[in-house]
Amino acid sequence: MNSTAALRGATVVLGDRAILRDLDLELVPGITVVRGPNGAGKSTLLRALAGLVPLSRGTREVPDRTLYLGQRPQLLHGVSARDNLRFFASFRGLSIEGVGPALASWGLVAKDAGRPVETLSAGQRRRAALARIDVERCDLVLLDEPFSEIDDAAATQLLHAIRVLAGERRAVVIATHARFELDAGANRVVHLS
Amino acid sequence: MTIVRIWRIAARETLAERGQPDGLVSAVTFVAALILVESLAVGPLAAGQPAVAAALFWIAMAFAAILATTRSFDRELEDDAIDAVLALPGGRDALYGGKVLALMALLAFVALIGGLLSLVLLSLEIALPGHLVFVIVAGVLGLPPVVVLFVTLALRLRARGALVPILALPVLVPHLVAATNGTAAAITGDPSGALGWGGLLVAFALVYSVLGLTIVPTALE
Repeated sequence: MNSTAALRGATVVLGDRAILRDLDLELVPGITVVRGPNGAGKSTLLRALAGLVPLSRGTREVPDRTLYLGQRPQLLHGVSARDNLRFFASFRGLSIEGVGPALASWGLVAKDAGRPVETLSAGQRRRAALARIDVERCDLVLLDEPFSEIDDAAATQLLHAIRVLAGERRAVVIATHARFELDAGANRVVHLS
Repeated sequence: MTIVRIWRIAARETLAERGQPDGLVSAVTFVAALILVESLAVGPLAAGQPAVAAALFWIAMAFAAILATTRSFDRELEDDAIDAVLALPGGRDALYGGKVLALMALLAFVALIGGLLSLVLLSLEIALPGHLVFVIVAGVLGLPPVVVLFVTLALRLRARGALVPILALPVLVPHLVAATNGTAAAITGDPSGALGWGGLLVAFALVYSVLGLTIVPTALE
Protein backbone atom coordinates (compact mmCIF):
# COMPACT_ATOMS: atom_id res chain seq x y z
CA MET A 1 0.00 0.00 0.00
CA ASN A 2 1.41 3.43 -0.93
CA SER A 3 2.23 5.58 2.06
CA THR A 4 0.80 9.09 2.40
CA ALA A 5 3.42 10.29 4.87
CA ALA A 6 6.34 8.96 6.82
CA LEU A 7 8.78 9.69 9.61
CA ARG A 8 12.09 7.86 9.28
CA GLY A 9 14.51 7.61 12.18
CA ALA A 10 12.85 10.64 13.70
CA THR A 11 14.26 12.02 16.92
CA VAL A 12 12.75 15.06 18.61
CA VAL A 13 14.58 16.66 21.51
CA LEU A 14 12.85 19.35 23.55
CA GLY A 15 15.10 20.97 26.13
CA ASP A 16 17.35 18.18 27.36
CA ARG A 17 14.82 15.39 26.84
CA ALA A 18 14.37 13.18 23.78
CA ILE A 19 10.59 12.98 23.35
CA LEU A 20 10.78 10.76 20.27
CA ARG A 21 13.79 8.57 19.55
CA ASP A 22 14.58 6.96 16.17
CA LEU A 23 10.91 6.59 15.33
CA ASP A 24 9.91 5.01 12.03
CA LEU A 25 6.29 5.55 11.09
CA GLU A 26 4.66 4.94 7.73
CA LEU A 27 1.20 6.43 7.33
CA VAL A 28 -1.11 4.85 4.79
CA PRO A 29 -4.63 5.92 3.78
CA GLY A 30 -7.06 5.12 6.57
CA ILE A 31 -7.05 5.67 10.31
CA THR A 32 -4.00 5.58 12.56
CA VAL A 33 -4.66 5.98 16.27
CA VAL A 34 -1.84 7.14 18.55
CA ARG A 35 -2.17 6.14 22.19
CA GLY A 36 -0.01 6.44 25.25
CA PRO A 37 0.09 7.96 28.71
CA ASN A 38 0.49 11.69 29.35
CA GLY A 39 3.94 12.85 28.33
CA ALA A 40 4.55 9.87 26.04
CA GLY A 41 4.96 12.16 23.03
CA LYS A 42 1.61 11.83 21.22
CA SER A 43 1.26 15.56 20.61
CA THR A 44 4.94 15.89 19.75
CA LEU A 45 4.55 13.13 17.15
CA LEU A 46 1.69 15.00 15.49
CA ARG A 47 3.57 18.31 15.70
CA ALA A 48 6.61 16.65 14.15
CA LEU A 49 4.45 15.39 11.28
CA ALA A 50 2.98 18.89 10.88
CA GLY A 51 6.47 20.40 10.78
CA LEU A 52 5.91 22.39 13.96
CA VAL A 53 8.85 20.89 15.84
CA PRO A 54 12.21 20.32 14.20
CA LEU A 55 13.65 16.84 13.95
CA SER A 56 17.04 16.54 15.62
CA ARG A 57 17.64 13.49 13.43
CA GLY A 58 15.72 11.70 10.74
CA THR A 59 13.43 12.75 7.92
CA ARG A 60 9.82 13.72 7.47
CA GLU A 61 7.77 13.21 4.31
CA VAL A 62 4.28 14.67 4.26
CA PRO A 63 1.99 15.87 1.48
CA ASP A 64 1.45 19.59 0.92
CA ARG A 65 -2.18 19.08 1.72
CA THR A 66 -1.73 18.32 5.40
CA LEU A 67 -4.15 19.59 8.02
CA TYR A 68 -3.05 19.80 11.65
CA LEU A 69 -5.67 20.46 14.32
CA GLY A 70 -4.02 20.82 17.71
CA GLN A 71 -5.44 20.61 21.20
CA ARG A 72 -6.57 24.21 20.96
CA PRO A 73 -8.81 25.60 18.19
CA GLN A 74 -6.03 27.64 16.47
CA LEU A 75 -8.48 30.35 15.41
CA LEU A 76 -7.31 33.97 15.47
CA HIS A 77 -9.07 36.14 18.04
CA GLY A 78 -10.72 39.31 16.78
CA VAL A 79 -11.79 37.47 13.62
CA SER A 80 -15.00 35.52 13.09
CA ALA A 81 -15.03 31.75 12.66
CA ARG A 82 -16.24 32.32 9.09
CA ASP A 83 -13.36 34.66 8.23
CA ASN A 84 -10.84 32.39 9.96
CA LEU A 85 -11.93 29.46 7.77
CA ARG A 86 -12.11 31.64 4.67
CA PHE A 87 -8.50 32.58 5.33
CA PHE A 88 -7.39 28.94 5.49
CA ALA A 89 -9.30 28.06 2.32
CA SER A 90 -8.01 31.02 0.31
CA PHE A 91 -4.44 30.52 1.58
CA ARG A 92 -4.54 27.01 0.10
CA GLY A 93 -6.02 28.39 -3.11
CA LEU A 94 -9.41 26.75 -2.45
CA SER A 95 -12.86 28.22 -2.95
CA ILE A 96 -14.38 29.92 0.09
CA GLU A 97 -17.88 28.87 -0.97
CA GLY A 98 -17.75 25.76 1.20
CA VAL A 99 -17.06 27.62 4.44
CA GLY A 100 -20.63 28.60 5.33
CA PRO A 101 -22.15 25.15 4.69
CA ALA A 102 -19.25 23.45 6.53
CA LEU A 103 -19.71 25.63 9.61
CA ALA A 104 -23.47 25.10 9.48
CA SER A 105 -23.00 21.33 9.27
CA TRP A 106 -20.91 21.51 12.46
CA GLY A 107 -23.69 23.41 14.21
CA LEU A 108 -22.55 27.01 13.81
CA VAL A 109 -25.47 29.00 12.44
CA ALA A 110 -24.68 32.10 10.37
CA LYS A 111 -25.07 34.43 13.36
CA ASP A 112 -22.52 32.54 15.46
CA ALA A 113 -20.19 31.98 12.51
CA GLY A 114 -20.00 35.77 12.05
CA ARG A 115 -19.10 36.52 15.68
CA PRO A 116 -15.48 37.01 16.78
CA VAL A 117 -14.23 33.59 17.88
CA GLU A 118 -13.35 34.74 21.39
CA THR A 119 -17.07 35.35 22.04
CA LEU A 120 -17.95 31.72 21.20
CA SER A 121 -17.99 28.93 23.77
CA ALA A 122 -15.06 26.50 23.90
CA GLY A 123 -17.22 23.83 22.28
CA GLN A 124 -18.29 26.15 19.47
CA ARG A 125 -14.70 27.14 18.81
CA ARG A 126 -13.72 23.49 18.65
CA ARG A 127 -16.60 22.77 16.23
CA ALA A 128 -15.48 25.68 14.03
CA ALA A 129 -11.96 24.27 14.00
CA LEU A 130 -13.25 20.82 13.07
CA ALA A 131 -15.15 22.34 10.16
CA ARG A 132 -11.73 22.87 8.57
CA ILE A 133 -11.71 19.13 7.85
CA ASP A 134 -14.61 19.62 5.43
CA VAL A 135 -13.34 22.90 3.98
CA GLU A 136 -9.73 21.93 3.29
CA ARG A 137 -10.20 18.23 2.35
CA CYS A 138 -6.55 17.37 2.99
CA ASP A 139 -4.75 14.12 2.16
CA LEU A 140 -3.23 13.89 5.63
CA VAL A 141 -5.30 14.99 8.64
CA LEU A 142 -3.62 15.17 12.06
CA LEU A 143 -6.03 15.42 15.00
CA ASP A 144 -4.70 15.96 18.52
CA GLU A 145 -7.31 15.10 21.18
CA PRO A 146 -10.13 16.09 18.82
CA PHE A 147 -12.88 14.84 21.14
CA SER A 148 -12.08 17.25 23.96
CA GLU A 149 -14.55 20.08 24.63
CA ILE A 150 -17.23 18.75 22.28
CA ASP A 151 -20.60 17.24 23.14
CA ASP A 152 -21.83 13.79 22.13
CA ALA A 153 -23.52 15.05 18.95
CA ALA A 154 -20.34 16.69 17.71
CA ALA A 155 -18.30 13.64 18.72
CA THR A 156 -20.60 11.41 16.66
CA GLN A 157 -20.24 13.78 13.72
CA LEU A 158 -16.47 13.75 14.11
CA LEU A 159 -16.38 9.95 14.12
CA HIS A 160 -18.45 10.00 10.94
CA ALA A 161 -16.14 12.60 9.33
CA ILE A 162 -13.09 10.49 10.21
CA ARG A 163 -14.65 7.42 8.60
CA VAL A 164 -15.57 9.42 5.49
CA LEU A 165 -11.99 10.67 5.19
CA ALA A 166 -10.67 7.12 5.56
CA GLY A 167 -13.17 5.96 2.93
CA GLU A 168 -11.84 8.62 0.56
CA ARG A 169 -8.34 7.09 0.90
CA ARG A 170 -7.02 9.94 3.04
CA ALA A 171 -4.74 9.32 6.00
CA VAL A 172 -6.09 10.37 9.40
CA VAL A 173 -3.89 10.33 12.49
CA ILE A 174 -5.67 10.71 15.82
CA ALA A 175 -3.91 11.15 19.15
CA THR A 176 -6.43 10.54 21.89
CA HIS A 177 -7.06 9.05 25.32
CA ALA A 178 -10.71 8.47 24.49
CA ARG A 179 -12.95 6.73 21.99
CA PHE A 180 -11.51 3.24 22.08
CA GLU A 181 -14.06 2.22 19.44
CA LEU A 182 -11.75 3.96 16.94
CA ASP A 183 -9.16 1.23 17.40
CA ALA A 184 -11.38 -1.43 15.83
CA GLY A 185 -11.66 0.48 12.54
CA ALA A 186 -8.05 1.69 12.51
CA ASN A 187 -5.35 0.48 10.13
CA ARG A 188 -2.92 0.78 12.93
CA VAL A 189 -2.74 1.70 16.59
CA VAL A 190 0.59 3.20 17.63
CA HIS A 191 1.43 2.92 21.32
CA LEU A 192 3.95 5.40 22.67
CA SER A 193 5.41 4.92 26.13
CA MET B 1 2.08 32.57 -5.02
CA THR B 2 4.09 33.84 -2.06
CA ILE B 3 2.91 37.38 -2.77
CA VAL B 4 -0.71 36.22 -2.68
CA ARG B 5 -0.10 34.36 0.58
CA ILE B 6 1.59 37.41 2.11
CA TRP B 7 -1.42 39.44 1.08
CA ARG B 8 -3.78 36.88 2.70
CA ILE B 9 -1.86 37.10 6.01
CA ALA B 10 -1.93 40.91 5.88
CA ALA B 11 -5.69 40.87 5.21
CA ARG B 12 -6.23 38.46 8.13
CA GLU B 13 -4.15 40.71 10.36
CA THR B 14 -6.14 43.77 9.34
CA LEU B 15 -9.40 41.92 10.09
CA ALA B 16 -8.09 40.94 13.53
CA GLU B 17 -6.99 44.50 14.26
CA ARG B 18 -10.43 45.74 13.26
CA GLY B 19 -12.06 43.24 15.60
CA GLN B 20 -9.64 43.85 18.47
CA PRO B 21 -8.05 47.26 17.82
CA ASP B 22 -5.93 47.24 20.98
CA GLY B 23 -2.65 47.36 19.01
CA LEU B 24 -3.77 50.41 17.05
CA VAL B 25 -5.34 52.12 20.05
CA SER B 26 -2.28 51.62 22.26
CA ALA B 27 0.08 52.82 19.50
CA VAL B 28 -1.97 55.96 18.76
CA THR B 29 -2.42 56.71 22.46
CA PHE B 30 1.28 56.30 23.12
CA VAL B 31 2.36 58.59 20.25
CA ALA B 32 -0.28 61.21 21.12
CA ALA B 33 0.63 61.16 24.82
CA LEU B 34 4.33 61.53 24.10
CA ILE B 35 3.82 64.49 21.76
CA LEU B 36 1.45 66.13 24.26
CA VAL B 37 3.85 65.59 27.17
CA GLU B 38 6.72 66.91 25.05
CA SER B 39 4.84 70.10 24.22
CA LEU B 40 3.91 70.64 27.87
CA ALA B 41 7.18 69.59 29.50
CA VAL B 42 9.73 71.49 27.43
CA GLY B 43 7.40 74.19 26.13
CA PRO B 44 6.33 74.81 22.53
CA LEU B 45 9.46 76.83 21.68
CA ALA B 46 11.99 74.14 22.56
CA ALA B 47 9.72 71.27 21.50
CA GLY B 48 9.04 72.93 18.16
CA GLN B 49 12.69 72.91 17.14
CA PRO B 50 12.84 70.68 14.05
CA ALA B 51 15.47 68.25 15.36
CA VAL B 52 13.76 67.87 18.76
CA ALA B 53 10.25 67.44 17.32
CA ALA B 54 11.52 64.96 14.71
CA ALA B 55 13.54 62.91 17.21
CA LEU B 56 10.63 62.56 19.63
CA PHE B 57 8.23 61.72 16.81
CA TRP B 58 10.43 58.86 15.58
CA ILE B 59 11.20 57.53 19.05
CA ALA B 60 7.45 57.45 19.68
CA MET B 61 6.93 55.68 16.34
CA ALA B 62 9.56 53.05 17.18
CA PHE B 63 7.90 52.22 20.50
CA ALA B 64 4.47 52.29 18.85
CA ALA B 65 5.72 49.74 16.31
CA ILE B 66 7.01 47.49 19.09
CA LEU B 67 3.72 47.79 21.01
CA ALA B 68 1.55 46.99 18.00
CA THR B 69 3.72 44.10 16.82
CA THR B 70 3.93 42.52 20.26
CA ARG B 71 0.16 42.73 20.59
CA SER B 72 -0.27 41.21 17.13
CA PHE B 73 1.86 38.18 18.03
CA ASP B 74 0.21 37.87 21.47
CA ARG B 75 -3.04 37.42 19.58
CA GLU B 76 -1.41 34.73 17.43
CA LEU B 77 -0.35 32.83 20.56
CA GLU B 78 -3.88 32.83 22.02
CA ASP B 79 -5.47 29.47 21.17
CA ASP B 80 -2.26 28.59 19.24
CA ALA B 81 -3.54 30.40 16.14
CA ILE B 82 0.02 30.75 14.88
CA ASP B 83 0.44 26.96 14.71
CA ALA B 84 -2.32 26.73 12.11
CA VAL B 85 -0.48 29.27 9.93
CA LEU B 86 2.93 27.66 10.39
CA ALA B 87 1.51 24.26 9.44
CA LEU B 88 0.17 25.61 6.13
CA PRO B 89 2.36 25.11 3.06
CA GLY B 90 4.26 28.39 2.64
CA GLY B 91 2.89 29.68 5.96
CA ARG B 92 6.29 30.37 7.50
CA ASP B 93 7.44 32.47 4.55
CA ALA B 94 4.19 34.37 4.28
CA LEU B 95 3.81 35.11 7.99
CA TYR B 96 6.72 37.55 8.16
CA GLY B 97 5.80 39.41 4.97
CA GLY B 98 2.13 39.59 5.90
CA LYS B 99 2.82 40.92 9.37
CA VAL B 100 5.25 43.52 8.01
CA LEU B 101 2.73 44.68 5.42
CA ALA B 102 -0.10 44.96 7.95
CA LEU B 103 2.13 46.80 10.44
CA MET B 104 3.17 49.27 7.73
CA ALA B 105 -0.50 50.13 7.15
CA LEU B 106 -1.12 50.49 10.88
CA LEU B 107 1.97 52.68 11.38
CA ALA B 108 1.01 54.86 8.42
CA PHE B 109 -2.23 55.64 10.28
CA VAL B 110 -0.37 56.24 13.56
CA ALA B 111 2.12 58.53 11.75
CA LEU B 112 -0.75 60.51 10.23
CA ILE B 113 -2.31 61.11 13.66
CA GLY B 114 1.09 61.81 15.26
CA GLY B 115 2.09 64.16 12.43
CA LEU B 116 -1.14 66.14 12.64
CA LEU B 117 -0.82 66.39 16.44
CA SER B 118 2.77 67.59 16.10
CA LEU B 119 1.74 70.25 13.62
CA VAL B 120 -0.99 71.55 15.94
CA LEU B 121 0.59 71.16 19.39
CA LEU B 122 4.14 72.17 18.42
CA SER B 123 3.08 74.85 15.90
CA LEU B 124 5.45 73.39 13.31
CA GLU B 125 5.89 75.15 10.00
CA ILE B 126 6.83 72.75 7.23
CA ALA B 127 9.06 74.18 4.49
CA LEU B 128 8.92 71.09 2.23
CA PRO B 129 5.66 69.17 2.81
CA GLY B 130 6.18 66.79 -0.14
CA HIS B 131 9.67 65.88 1.07
CA LEU B 132 8.32 65.40 4.59
CA VAL B 133 5.71 62.94 3.34
CA PHE B 134 8.45 61.03 1.46
CA VAL B 135 10.67 60.82 4.56
CA ILE B 136 7.79 59.73 6.79
CA VAL B 137 6.65 57.08 4.29
CA ALA B 138 10.24 55.82 3.98
CA GLY B 139 10.60 55.79 7.77
CA VAL B 140 7.32 53.92 8.21
CA LEU B 141 8.46 51.34 5.63
CA GLY B 142 11.70 50.78 7.52
CA LEU B 143 10.38 50.15 11.04
CA PRO B 144 8.24 46.99 10.61
CA PRO B 145 10.90 44.77 8.98
CA VAL B 146 13.19 45.19 12.00
CA VAL B 147 10.53 45.07 14.71
CA VAL B 148 8.67 42.05 13.29
CA LEU B 149 12.01 40.26 12.89
CA PHE B 150 12.91 40.67 16.57
CA VAL B 151 9.41 39.94 17.86
CA THR B 152 9.47 36.71 15.82
CA LEU B 153 12.91 35.74 17.11
CA ALA B 154 11.75 36.27 20.72
CA LEU B 155 8.33 34.70 20.12
CA ARG B 156 8.63 31.67 22.40
CA LEU B 157 10.52 33.46 25.16
CA ARG B 158 8.66 34.30 28.33
CA ALA B 159 10.41 37.66 28.69
CA ARG B 160 9.78 38.76 25.12
CA GLY B 161 7.97 41.92 26.26
CA ALA B 162 11.19 43.16 27.86
CA LEU B 163 13.59 41.60 25.38
CA VAL B 164 12.18 42.98 22.14
CA PRO B 165 12.90 46.67 22.87
CA ILE B 166 16.35 45.75 24.23
CA LEU B 167 17.19 43.79 21.06
CA ALA B 168 15.46 45.97 18.48
CA LEU B 169 16.29 49.51 19.61
CA PRO B 170 20.09 49.28 19.10
CA VAL B 171 19.48 47.97 15.57
CA LEU B 172 16.99 50.76 14.98
CA VAL B 173 19.45 53.52 15.94
CA PRO B 174 20.69 54.14 12.35
CA HIS B 175 17.09 54.14 11.16
CA LEU B 176 16.03 56.61 13.87
CA VAL B 177 18.99 58.89 13.16
CA ALA B 178 18.24 58.90 9.43
CA ALA B 179 14.51 59.44 9.99
CA THR B 180 15.15 62.28 12.46
CA ASN B 181 17.64 64.04 10.19
CA GLY B 182 15.44 63.56 7.11
CA THR B 183 12.36 64.89 8.90
CA ALA B 184 14.27 67.89 10.31
CA ALA B 185 15.67 68.61 6.83
CA ALA B 186 12.17 68.59 5.33
CA ILE B 187 10.87 70.89 8.07
CA THR B 188 13.73 73.40 7.70
CA GLY B 189 13.78 73.38 3.88
CA ASP B 190 16.81 71.28 2.95
CA PRO B 191 15.64 69.22 -0.06
CA SER B 192 18.88 67.33 -0.70
CA GLY B 193 19.15 66.40 2.98
CA ALA B 194 15.55 65.16 3.06
CA LEU B 195 15.97 63.12 -0.12
CA GLY B 196 19.33 61.70 0.96
CA TRP B 197 18.12 60.56 4.38
CA GLY B 198 14.85 59.33 2.88
CA GLY B 199 16.77 57.23 0.35
CA LEU B 200 18.82 55.75 3.16
CA LEU B 201 15.59 54.81 4.97
CA VAL B 202 14.32 53.01 1.86
CA ALA B 203 17.62 51.12 1.70
CA PHE B 204 17.25 50.11 5.37
CA ALA B 205 13.72 48.87 4.65
CA LEU B 206 14.93 46.76 1.72
CA VAL B 207 17.92 45.29 3.56
CA TYR B 208 15.92 44.34 6.66
CA SER B 209 13.01 42.98 4.60
CA VAL B 210 15.37 40.63 2.75
CA LEU B 211 17.08 39.70 6.02
CA GLY B 212 13.73 38.99 7.70
CA LEU B 213 12.40 36.94 4.80
CA THR B 214 15.61 34.88 4.94
CA ILE B 215 15.90 34.42 8.70
CA VAL B 216 12.31 34.19 9.95
CA PRO B 217 11.16 30.95 8.24
CA THR B 218 14.13 29.12 9.78
CA ALA B 219 13.80 30.90 13.12
CA LEU B 220 10.16 29.85 13.39
CA GLU B 221 11.25 26.20 13.57
